[in-house]
Amino acid sequence: MDLREEKVGGVTVVEVKGRIDSTTAPALGARLTASLVAPKVRVLLDLSRLEYISSAGFRILLLAAKRADEAGSRLVLCGVSGKVRQLFDLGGFLDLFTIVGSRDEGIAAAG
Amino acid sequence: MSAIDITIVNQGGQLARVAGLLDRLGAEHHLAPEVLADMQVALDEVLTNITDYAYTDQAEHEIHIRLQVLDNVLEAVIEDDGAPFNPLAIPAPDVSTPLRERRVGGVGIHFVRSLMDEVAYDRAGERNRLVLRKRFKT
Repeated sequence: MDLREEKVGGVTVVEVKGRIDSTTAPALGARLTASLVAPKVRVLLDLSRLEYISSAGFRILLLAAKRADEAGSRLVLCGVSGKVRQLFDLGGFLDLFTIVGSRDEGIAAAG
Repeated sequence: MSAIDITIVNQGGQLARVAGLLDRLGAEHHLAPEVLADMQVALDEVLTNITDYAYTDQAEHEIHIRLQVLDNVLEAVIEDDGAPFNPLAIPAPDVSTPLRERRVGGVGIHFVRSLMDEVAYDRAGERNRLVLRKRFKT
């Protein structure tokens, strides 16, 4: 898994490339925790280059969403397609996150 | 090479090696990325379940994994000497629970059963033996 972070306007965009599994999930968790440490921040997680995600990864994403919720921050997901979308759907996670199509839509939604 | 035998112990940081060997088997047999991804997710779920929940003592335990490609089937056989655990006996999770009340527990097993074409469990002596099968077209 590779993580790339950039600031676009007031939005922190975190792009995930590769896999989120029990091996890589802790690093994603640490990154999201760092991004969400301040209150009222806006974070866009771009999953368009993600190959797959296991339940260890969903656990991290749910924790991040909960943390964002509590801090008045926004966590938006984009690029949820193919195999990754199937896994979100199977786990019943599609409705638990704010999910938009493209990165541009995500920046608009998070901002 | 159509079969790989791997032994790991119930400590953290071992699953990357399993994932790497599955990748290698998949590449050698030109398996589709979706087939490989399904097996990677299933294996991650099964192995984390074993390392996290199967053992009540602090001792080191070996987990044996055999990965193989048979006729149009990618198969993983996982054997451990942990507490008896039949993933097929776990009820499907309620995926309609609100976010705050949600527990991810159960979703992993649900992934395994949904992504695999066949899952078989048996307890032989003191060992759990789980077989995962994913069919593919050549």
